[in-house]
Amino acid sequence: MPDKDLTERPLGMLGASYAWLRRASPIQWIAPYAGSRLGIAGLTVAALLFPIVSGNDANIDSAANALAFAALALGLNIVVGFAGLLDLGYAAFFAIGAYTYGAFASYQIEPAWSQFWVPFQWLDLVARVPDPGGDLVHFQVSFWLMLPVSAAIAALFGVLFGAPTLRLKGDYLAIVTLGFGEIVPIVARNWPSVTNGAMGLNGVAQPQLFGWKFGIGATPYYYVGAVLVALLIFTSLRLKSSRIGRAWMAIREDEVAAAAMGINRVKFKLLAFAIGAGFAGATGTFYVAKLQTATPEMFMFPVSVMILVMIVFGGIGSVWGVVLGAMILQILQSWVLEDLSQWLHAIGRLIHVDWLQRIELASSIELIFGFILVAMMLYRREGLIPATRRVQGLTLAQQAAQVGTGFAPERLNLAGFGAHDRETDGALLDIDGLSVRFGGLVALHRVALQVPARSVVAVIGPNGSGKSTLFNAVTGLVSADGGAIRFAGRDIAGLPPHAVLDRGIARTFQNLRLFPSLTVLENVMIGMHARLATGAVGALLRLPGTRREEEAARERALAILEIFGNRLVPRLDHTVASLSYANRRRVEIARALASHPKLLLLDEPTAGMNPAETHELADQIKGLHRLGLTILLIEHKLDVVVDLAQHVVVLDHGDKIAEGTPDAVRRDEEVIRAYLGRSASLGGAAVA
Amino acid sequence: MLSRRSLIVQLPAATLAGSVALRAFAADKTVTIGIDLPLTGADAQSAQKIKDGAIMAIDEANEKGGAGGYKLNPLVLDDGTATAGQYDPAQAATNARKMVSDDTVVAAIGPQMSGSGKAMSPILSQGNLATITPSSTNPDITSPKFAGQYRPGGKAIYFRTVTTDAFQGPNMANYYADTLKVKSVYVLDDSGAYGVGIADTFQAQSQKRGLNVLGRDQLNPKEADYTTVLTKIKSLNPDSLYYGGVAQAGVKLVKQSYDIVPTIVKGGGDGMYGPEVLKGAGFPACAGWYATIAAPHVLGDPAVAEWTARFTKKFGEPPEDYSITAYDAANVIIDAIARVAASGKPVNRDNVRDAIQSTKLKTLQGEITFDENGDLVNKVISVFQIVKDDTKPLDDVAYQYKYMGVAPQSA
Amino acid sequence: MNLEAVYLQQLINGLSLGAMYALLALGFTLVYGILELINFAHFNVFMVSSFFGMWALELLGLSGQAVVLTGLPLAGALLFAFIVTMTLAGCLGVAIERLALRPMRAVRGTAAMITTIGVSYILFNVVLLTVGADSKNYPNPMPNVSWALGGATLRLREVLIWGITIVLMVGLQLFVSRSRLGKAMRATAQDAEAARMMGIDVDRVIVTAFFLGSALAGAAALIFGLYYNYTSFVIGYSAGLRAFTAAVLGGIGSVSGAMLGGVIIGLIESLGGQLLAVRWTDVIIFSILVLVLVFAPSGLLGRAAPNKS
Repeated sequence: MPDKDLTERPLGMLGASYAWLRRASPIQWIAPYAGSRLGIAGLTVAALLFPIVSGNDANIDSAANALAFAALALGLNIVVGFAGLLDLGYAAFFAIGAYTYGAFASYQIEPAWSQFWVPFQWLDLVARVPDPGGDLVHFQVSFWLMLPVSAAIAALFGVLFGAPTLRLKGDYLAIVTLGFGEIVPIVARNWPSVTNGAMGLNGVAQPQLFGWKFGIGATPYYYVGAVLVALLIFTSLRLKSSRIGRAWMAIREDEVAAAAMGINRVKFKLLAFAIGAGFAGATGTFYVAKLQTATPEMFMFPVSVMILVMIVFGGIGSVWGVVLGAMILQILQSWVLEDLSQWLHAIGRLIHVDWLQRIELASSIELIFGFILVAMMLYRREGLIPATRRVQGLTLAQQAAQVGTGFAPERLNLAGFGAHDRETDGALLDIDGLSVRFGGLVALHRVALQVPARSVVAVIGPNGSGKSTLFNAVTGLVSADGGAIRFAGRDIAGLPPHAVLDRGIARTFQNLRLFPSLTVLENVMIGMHARLATGAVGALLRLPGTRREEEAARERALAILEIFGNRLVPRLDHTVASLSYANRRRVEIARALASHPKLLLLDEPTAGMNPAETHELADQIKGLHRLGLTILLIEHKLDVVVDLAQHVVVLDHGDKIAEGTPDAVRRDEEVIRAYLGRSASLGGAAVA
Repeated sequence: MLSRRSLIVQLPAATLAGSVALRAFAADKTVTIGIDLPLTGADAQSAQKIKDGAIMAIDEANEKGGAGGYKLNPLVLDDGTATAGQYDPAQAATNARKMVSDDTVVAAIGPQMSGSGKAMSPILSQGNLATITPSSTNPDITSPKFAGQYRPGGKAIYFRTVTTDAFQGPNMANYYADTLKVKSVYVLDDSGAYGVGIADTFQAQSQKRGLNVLGRDQLNPKEADYTTVLTKIKSLNPDSLYYGGVAQAGVKLVKQSYDIVPTIVKGGGDGMYGPEVLKGAGFPACAGWYATIAAPHVLGDPAVAEWTARFTKKFGEPPEDYSITAYDAANVIIDAIARVAASGKPVNRDNVRDAIQSTKLKTLQGEITFDENGDLVNKVISVFQIVKDDTKPLDDVAYQYKYMGVAPQSA
Repeated sequence: MNLEAVYLQQLINGLSLGAMYALLALGFTLVYGILELINFAHFNVFMVSSFFGMWALELLGLSGQAVVLTGLPLAGALLFAFIVTMTLAGCLGVAIERLALRPMRAVRGTAAMITTIGVSYILFNVVLLTVGADSKNYPNPMPNVSWALGGATLRLREVLIWGITIVLMVGLQLFVSRSRLGKAMRATAQDAEAARMMGIDVDRVIVTAFFLGSALAGAAALIFGLYYNYTSFVIGYSAGLRAFTAAVLGGIGSVSGAMLGGVIIGLIESLGGQLLAVRWTDVIIFSILVLVLVFAPSGLLGRAAPNKS
């Protein structure tokens, strides 16, 4: 849908402000520097000096609160921004972190003393409290110890809450998380023995550093908060530019394609939930240690929405953006509006206007949030600091891509490409009696097909004959209702898509399923996901082994992209959404190749290409075949089939109606009838 | 001409200038008195009346030249939030930190609600900032049993010009048993700190007095429908109902109980005393409800009539009993500041706290002295019943709540 | 009151609640059926409409429960109030669609739903800041008539709720199944593209869905006010949660599902409160919501879960 002219939209004034915002240079001017070394150094210095410069404890307190919410925004950013899972109940993890610390650092829970507690007393985790009714245990676990412990417990709940939501799509996932987000404060309210119910858990212990108590001045909390936020920013950035981050973004962009590229969706979704929850758990501990009180009201739906507004405002998916968004909105609420209110009160007293004296702007903060949310969604969905970067335009020379002629596979450095670890003398892919039904519709009926190793087999047939369904069944996207599928001698029917990729079958999609807002390079590197081994810890620490793996992966990606001459290489950092249709098809093939498949399934690879491009791609496929790759191909263009395939299988309405060499099949009566109708072969009445 | 761009520059600059100017003005011989009340939410109206009582005292003192020569500057902070729909303990804690961190604040008035008080007390104690609450009645905050939790600084800082629920609940139970002569009761609370506390003490005393407590349940202030629990209560056929809680749930309870159990005796604590009940529930539903306040009833006293007239003229609205306790609380602070100034000691919060502790002041509600925990020595619980007076405005607390007497204190 | 009577009374209570939730759920499900959009703003349209109803009745000179009407004047007053409330509510719904949701129609994913959260917030806070947080006494001209029904009490207001709900539901069902616009709505719900190609003005259908849905919310809001004799700015939250669960339980997108779901949730609330304790009702409702979405997303009567990701 074309973007309407701003003046045509209602709320023209808002639109005009948006236009001004867009042109506002400060944001575009700051953004590139935000991530640079100079920028970070400057920020660090400013953050360290702030309390000293400010001197006003209330302001430092506001800043400390802002940091807490920045940490929460970072955590939600991982779930919503990176992995694309809309979590409307994020405050639940905040609550869990807070109450966990509260339970272990206050007078709330005081079980009876027994021998069991002696080792804990020795570790200084509990104290023995004399009481006329029998000695009691008083928990006094250290704040510093509780930070990671709460994070871990919250992460556990993240997995617990995430598990049921895995199969659900967008809206439904949001509602279920909202449900969990509401259940937690309700449980907190109705479990007074642990949480003191609605009355709130009071008297939570303050942190101590080597015996020195933090006291009520806000400055020590501010520094702890700043360190926490710095750590979380570091973690977010490391994860984002790693295999884990790529996997999340793939899931966010297109879950089905992500699975087909070897990403274990369940594992990564749970990982996102767990890490996001862990951030919130640690922040909960920090926040409650500062406030010394925890009530169920602090963790209800409006808090989850507030964090969502912060990341929408700052820029979903952008690490610096969400921090900025959180800080601005918190400071707006606690600082600017408060001061403004006091100022209005003073004026009101001065000029004796009653309602000015009563006005409380801070209570309109939620109204402001509502407006921000609507305005951002309508006019600037990418937020203040967008997650996607701007790229340089191409030079004229780069734009004039030459048609690749003379594809020489020996030139390319594709070591180990298409190699087989053992010679299979049988078929590499053996499909036997495969049936797939969708309700009453029989999409495939007892289809049998063999793909010998190192061959090119083509599947053809009229529209609706079940060709793509065949691919979907092989790659695990639909389940078979009968028959067997064996790959390299092992049964693969029933395996999830990422496991199929792992075994060595990669595919492209008929209607293109790329990851639209990711770059060409990122798309191809996601294809490599199953062949890399870096986990979350490795991504975080970036050990030499991880760095080497990333480097090698990048080089291999480049090598694969060079198959297509200079069509894709100059566009490495462009988002695939900005590519031409033919280029997108090429990227998808490159992505499939990146996973080092033994068998490549190409679903109408030349669709939409002109004859020159078709010829070029056919050459490239032939080259890949010569490298040893086995290819199963769905094609409509019979000249391509004749050129590439050694064996052709014909499907019609779910049945295999013919197979053989391309020439034999082309002349087969059944095939002609299937494509062109009865009249073409028999001269009788046409069957549509 | 104010262009949009210049406005965006000018507004923050003006704010900044304003704050600086404000602080400068505050600098010479002024002290600040913090006022923390739930001015947003379901209790906003009674909070407003309390605030008015305090402001009246402060304005009167300022007109006479201040307290001991010091001008008084009120710092009003709202501990109610839209999220909670009423008082919010987390906001109260934030306000407490704000007051403690502001060196010009030497004393505070409030909070109205005990839930806020529990959150604020530890913070105020660490800052040795005294506050006098005109209406928070939960006894835990000043109880020596919980001193470690609510008074980590050691000294008493939570003073009250009201009695606590250690008396408000039980005395009402006595009233139910002795004066109203009911035999059975069903107890409800609204899950808040104050509500649960007062319902607990009422229930315990009822059981001691031999009343048959048929059951206890909890209302959700955010929910609309109480017909289910009221039907359940109806089926148990009690003589009476007691509700511990504030107006957000209370108003709905009043309306719906009028439909479902119209004839049984119904009563509540000081959460049910206020214009919210009269306006929100209206007549005929609210007629007959009993309510208590944890203070002596002086509003109907002819000696106070002149004060009442002045209040109504100044604010355009009639006061309620807690406006008086707030007025008295402010005067205690003013008196304390004057005494500190007279003694030559610096007027800071430590000295003001000590002066408040040793208060012996005659006020509208009688003589005020505090015990070592900060509680009022003179403990009186007054009982009211809502009786419709058509000759007066139907939302005027002073006329629609009929004073029934002092609730019998337990032996 | 003997046990039978108690359960009968709770049954009556539950059915009345259920009728209200059903009306609210209907409006919600109408929009979802066509746009596959979860409209968070719906429940605050409900809340705002209760104030519309209050002002409509005050316009007639009614205030509180002081003035009581019977017979024709009562019917006239109520008819006026319903028409005004439902019309204003419908217009509010249409305004929301036009200003906030139409530009989002082409955006894939949950962006539109997030926008409705924003709109919901705006409605909620505007009411809070203008009208105030205290509960308002609702003008109600109905006489306090009731009949004994085997130990339980059946009040006039319960009869009113059921009567109006049944009339509205039958009316809606007739409209959807018989009228041209109704058929257009059903077609659009099944396949918007195909509907467009058949010459159906999809924009008009969507506007109708929003108008009808919001008008039903308006009716539910007026019923709420007349039943409980109060309104305040928070009534959207609790009623909204239950109505939403009702819609999901019955099957999002199904009109009869919304009605069935509403009744079931109403009964669960009253009988659950009777058997357990009222404080657990929210947990029960949320648990039902989560369980249905996770294990049976199409609900009782709905079609298969959407494949929109």
